[in-house]
Amino acid sequence: MSWVLARGLSRGWGSICWDTLSGSHFSQVTPQAPWSLHYSTVNHKDEAWLVPQPSEPQRKPIRVLTPHEELFRPSPDGERDKASFVGAVQNFRQYSVHKRGHVDFIYLALRKMQEFGVERDLAVYNLLLDVFPKEVFRPRNVFQRIFVHYPRQQECGIAVLEQMERHGIMPNKDTEFLLIQIFGYKSYPMLKFLRMKLWLTRFKNINPYPIPRDLPQDPVDLAKLGLRHMEPDLSAKVTVYQMALPSDTPGAEDPTQPHIVGIQSPEQQATLAHHNPSRPVFVEGPFSLWLRNKCVYYYILRADLPPPEEKKVEEIPEEWNLYYPMKLDLDYARGNWDNYEFDIDKVTEGPIFAMCMAGAHDQGTLIKWIQGLQETNPALAQIPVVFRLARSPGELLTSSGLEGPSPLQAPPQGQEDDHPLQPLQQQGQSGVSGA
Amino acid sequence: MFGCSLLRRAAAVARAWQGLEVLRARRRPLHTSPQCPAFAKELFLGNLELKGIFPFPEVSQDELNEINQFVGPVEKFFTEEVDSRKIDQEGKIPVDTLEKLKSLGLFGMQVPEEYGGLGLSNTMYARLGEIISMDGSISVTLAAHQAIGLKGIILVGSEEQKAKYLPKLASGEHIAAFCLTEPASGSDAASIQTRATLSEDKKHFVLNGSKVWITNGALASIFTVFAKTEVVDSDGSTKDKITAFIVERGFGGITNGKPEDKLGIRGSNTCEVHFENTKVPVENVLGEVGGGFKVAMNILNSGRFSMGTIVAGMLKKLIELTTEYACTRKQFNRNLSEFGLIQEKFALMAQKAYVMESMAYLTAGMLDQPGFPDCSIEAAMVKVFSSEAAWQCVSEALQILGGSGYMKDYPYERMLRDSRILLIFEGTNEILRMYIALTGLQHAGRILTSRINELKRGNVITVMETIGRRLRDSLGRAVDLGLTGNPGFVHPSLGDSAVKLEENVYYFGRTVETLLLRFGKTIVEEQLVLKRVANILINLYGMTAVLSRASRSIRIGLQNHDHEVLLANMFCVEAYFQNLFSLSQLDKYAPENLDEQIKKVSQQILEKRAYVCAHPLDRTS
Repeated sequence: MSWVLARGLSRGWGSICWDTLSGSHFSQVTPQAPWSLHYSTVNHKDEAWLVPQPSEPQRKPIRVLTPHEELFRPSPDGERDKASFVGAVQNFRQYSVHKRGHVDFIYLALRKMQEFGVERDLAVYNLLLDVFPKEVFRPRNVFQRIFVHYPRQQECGIAVLEQMERHGIMPNKDTEFLLIQIFGYKSYPMLKFLRMKLWLTRFKNINPYPIPRDLPQDPVDLAKLGLRHMEPDLSAKVTVYQMALPSDTPGAEDPTQPHIVGIQSPEQQATLAHHNPSRPVFVEGPFSLWLRNKCVYYYILRADLPPPEEKKVEEIPEEWNLYYPMKLDLDYARGNWDNYEFDIDKVTEGPIFAMCMAGAHDQGTLIKWIQGLQETNPALAQIPVVFRLARSPGELLTSSGLEGPSPLQAPPQGQEDDHPLQPLQQQGQSGVSGA
Repeated sequence: MFGCSLLRRAAAVARAWQGLEVLRARRRPLHTSPQCPAFAKELFLGNLELKGIFPFPEVSQDELNEINQFVGPVEKFFTEEVDSRKIDQEGKIPVDTLEKLKSLGLFGMQVPEEYGGLGLSNTMYARLGEIISMDGSISVTLAAHQAIGLKGIILVGSEEQKAKYLPKLASGEHIAAFCLTEPASGSDAASIQTRATLSEDKKHFVLNGSKVWITNGALASIFTVFAKTEVVDSDGSTKDKITAFIVERGFGGITNGKPEDKLGIRGSNTCEVHFENTKVPVENVLGEVGGGFKVAMNILNSGRFSMGTIVAGMLKKLIELTTEYACTRKQFNRNLSEFGLIQEKFALMAQKAYVMESMAYLTAGMLDQPGFPDCSIEAAMVKVFSSEAAWQCVSEALQILGGSGYMKDYPYERMLRDSRILLIFEGTNEILRMYIALTGLQHAGRILTSRINELKRGNVITVMETIGRRLRDSLGRAVDLGLTGNPGFVHPSLGDSAVKLEENVYYFGRTVETLLLRFGKTIVEEQLVLKRVANILINLYGMTAVLSRASRSIRIGLQNHDHEVLLANMFCVEAYFQNLFSLSQLDKYAPENLDEQIKKVSQQILEKRAYVCAHPLDRTS
């Protein structure tokens, strides 16, 4: 522990904070397992989802029974909710009047919070902080104040605040009061608290495209959310082309009918209607989209940039506006001083006509999507469609291992068919196989 | 070296001279043609074109007697027999009222006498408008009939068409309607869907399509309809162009939707009109095939000036009603009329009425000058000013009346509802502001072309001249455009206001030049700039009109001309400061100019399609 202290002293307050945080890693390590210093996955399981860990081969850590584990055993009725969690904490306080082992208990409780579904409950965090004995760890003289007083306890307090921060929980007056009571004004948990007070408010709404905290469980709803999230045009219409059949539907020939949800804006529809039918359009994907801790995959219908000679110059018709002239017949243009546009190099890209998310990642499903699109876009029937599907979403496979188990969002398992992808049969076009 | 620079200078002088020649050559047709006093257009160059403006246009004694004879019975009819409240409640004008209107000849006010109309001049027509305005529904019905409905026949109809249709329209036996607006087409002529196809025997067109919000749609038996037709261009390609048709209800295939339920002018009939395979003989093409766009523009541009007198008539009536109330209602043992805030409202109403009356009659007088002058900008300015003043004044009048203004027992809420449409129809005020500003800028831009090109090229003489002028301007320059003096156009008691007007006009001209230099033809996209240009121009026109009218009143000794002087000076001072503010806004980077912020705010709102700010009670912790 002393090296933490020394390093903390050599840097300033700010860096101490981080060091004490990293210190929190090994504070949870039991003396029996000193080698699992930084990669004790048992202990860090709930923090791991935030930062993808390098997948270096790990030694199997020795599983040790942490003290107080029995407090969190499921009760006979198996309920795991806030009440039972609070009960466990109360039990600890009754069972250990002298608060012996409270640091270990708090670490354990922090890890258990997600299981009990209370990781977003400010009152529970305050209750946890309340477990600390009061007034004991407050520095009483100038030397105690200079050196980290009761570092293990302070680290533990910071760990509580860290977990709050991770879940976006804003500390309140009670938290502040408890921290002052426990650690005093000039302490690292208090510093952490002040920083949270300052920065969490500023970062809370920093995302201009907020995602709801609780994502819908239904894959169709999730797909709708994801598509809406990507589409800037609010008048775009989401269409469910096909609902997933429940797997036990009797008489269904194809028992695995996946859902297909698409989105298209009126503008995209118009662009597609004016697309030159002699040029193919492409179905590309899957591309990944992260919604909180879920990854969903989408496909786009796009075309290449039309060659410059095909570009129609939009000219102002002579007889257009009944009331005022739409253009002035003058031969001088805007002065350079009044050009407010920044000089931006724009890479022009081909148009995107529609997007979709589907429950299955094979060409058959996407053909159904295109067929559905043809109903609202009659022009699409005349245009050859080429499927350029990636075999697998690549690196996303590895990162998706980190997310919680969600079978519906399982990444595509590659194409079932091995032969080169063929374009839609009814168009009779020669196909281009994709990447 | 010396010789070289001398040569260059000589070349520059020659070029400048050339430019001047071009300028002169371009200007000449403006001055020599019988058309165009073009007062408003000249304002854009910083000139005051006084011909036709000073002295204020007058009518002869005979005409005046004639119109007064005519006004009497109409006024009596409107005050005694028209029940506006009933018309508003029942949503239609009673048949006997319509019959009486017809017998008074009000359906053919501007139809020439040889076709059975009254053949009134624009000034007389404006005078009658004052009286007709006593009922909103009736004035809208009449305006839809003759200001736009049958106007096309008068303007571009052939002799046969005039002889065939005008007599019955003038007598009111037939009512006319103007069918332009479509569900997908407001001011956008390119999106008109109604189509007329020439039949195989080339004897008639077959008309198909729907028109919406057609005033008099259910009453009318003659429609002026605009539809797309295929026209073979000079180079042999076919093009869709708009053509105007005279369509009789008897041609068949014409159906109406149900009457629309409206906020105001509820007595007027507004509905959809559908045409289904209506056969229109080729003789009924109004103007040329493919020339409908110009016909529509001419009709729309010609009808606007009359709104000025219609609103003025309404305001005069409103002032009578509200003064009555203010002088009898007692609070704290004092009449309402003794409170400053109430007095202010009357001054406002009188001032607005005075200005719009002056503007409207000035425009009408200009229109009545020989040679079909183009006063469409002036007419649009009258429309914008009067409609906005109407809304503002009626709202202030309601304020004077307090609670009773809000009640259906009194006519005020109906007037408020009726006056709201004025800002919308005949071209919304926003659109008309664009028209006012762009038409003037086009004119100024053409004349200034050579000068601006030389400035852009960095011609030393032009640049130095411009800089010198700016320097002189900034050191305080007394502008004299010839309004005052001895003897001046303007009476000395209005001298201060006249100087203010001259100053505004001069600096407006400078600003227009700067704007053209800055934006060139892309100024079309700068709508916030254009709005301010239009606002300044409207104020300038108003100032000119009141100065001209008040000067005339003093000189010929009309009754209460001192009151007129008060109103005129008051308006001129207000308008002057408004103009100074707008002019400073038009300067680039002026602190008053919030364009950037305005655009940003609206962009963010439109992106979210909602109010963006968090609720004031929201917390982050």
